[in-house]
Amino acid sequence: MASAENISVLLQRVARRDRAAFAEVYRATSAKLYGIILRILRRRDIADEVLQEVYVKIWERAADFDSRLASPISWMCAIARNRALDELRRKRPVSLEDHPEIRDIPSNDIPALEQVLRGEDGKRLADCLAGLEAKRREMIVLAYCDGLTREELAAKYGQPLNTIKTWLRRSLAQLKGCLGS
Amino acid sequence: MTDEDDIEALAGEYVLGTLDREERMAVSARRLREPALEAAIIEWERRLAPLSEVGAAAIPPADAFQKIEARIGIGSFSANSGTVIQLRRSVAVWRTAALFASAIAASLVVAIGIGKFPPTPKQQNLVAVLQRDAGSPAFLVTVNIEDRVLTVQPVDAKPEPGKSYELWIIQDTLGAPKSLGVIDQPKTIARPTLAAYEPDVIESAKYAVTLEPEGGSPSGKPTGPVVFAGKLMPMTR
Repeated sequence: MASAENISVLLQRVARRDRAAFAEVYRATSAKLYGIILRILRRRDIADEVLQEVYVKIWERAADFDSRLASPISWMCAIARNRALDELRRKRPVSLEDHPEIRDIPSNDIPALEQVLRGEDGKRLADCLAGLEAKRREMIVLAYCDGLTREELAAKYGQPLNTIKTWLRRSLAQLKGCLGS
Repeated sequence: MTDEDDIEALAGEYVLGTLDREERMAVSARRLREPALEAAIIEWERRLAPLSEVGAAAIPPADAFQKIEARIGIGSFSANSGTVIQLRRSVAVWRTAALFASAIAASLVVAIGIGKFPPTPKQQNLVAVLQRDAGSPAFLVTVNIEDRVLTVQPVDAKPEPGKSYELWIIQDTLGAPKSLGVIDQPKTIARPTLAAYEPDVIESAKYAVTLEPEGGSPSGKPTGPVVFAGKLMPMTR
């Protein structure tokens, strides 16, 4: 994959309506974004549609990208995740009774975080996640990567909704404190 | 719980993705007009971004990029009229786009006949579509960065009896929103009201229209609800 600096430069060109640069950005990033979208939505037909919308948005908003605020990949991932989550929430919650297989993520689906989270920021986040109780750490990953709602987490862990909300918010506060900002 | 804690927790859960539909839509709308919330969201996106590495990459369908290019809809306009600005609404795209999250993004692709305006190295003409949501553009704002002339062109704004539309420039370094004047006239208005602002500020600002008492806000600060908003982007060649 192209480096962050390269993609930043490409995005600046995209902001100036450079279609060749846009094609390069797509080549360098589409497999990653599609992976994120597909994991959240779990349906190729909907994921295909969302992927297209995400790149249309990247084309239209490239001028908004600010390399001081985020890496280009983080910026694009945020667009992809937001769009996928909007789509997921748009439908009615998929009933766990109707389709238990759809949203029931086996825990072995989550790889060892310290092996996956690379780079300085990734290692720091992995360390801070390791400080959370195992169940709460798993909840954070399932929410972020798989788009599980509080309701789905409540069903999965057999806890009341309010307890899940409290756990999530405490986990976030603990992560923020640990990450030191 | 203080407001700060509340914003922090809300931003965290928004980025984590655990808010339900109504909460999520509310945050998507609020972040457009609450810089503190927007900043908290960006911070959380940065903190949690490494988690994006957890999932496996997946190869998109082979024709996906072609479809994206078709949606962007450029390359198909002709320079047949040197003086006319052609507006093309990518309605299909925006009908399906998330209404709230994308409200700030322009939904028009503006094409200028290239014979009239030779390409310049630096984009001097910027355009913003001010709209309530995708697919309902109300005003078209164009700015020439060099002479800082602002042109406001009503597209589909309905006058409200006894009220005035007022245009504001919103940017972190400016503090509170600054008025760019009342934009009630049913025709295009061009003014040098941006002369006081730096090009960087003009380019990165958000532009919002509020509904104010007739003649504009009496206090110099927005008092009414934001009815339309948008950001500038370069005009497409």
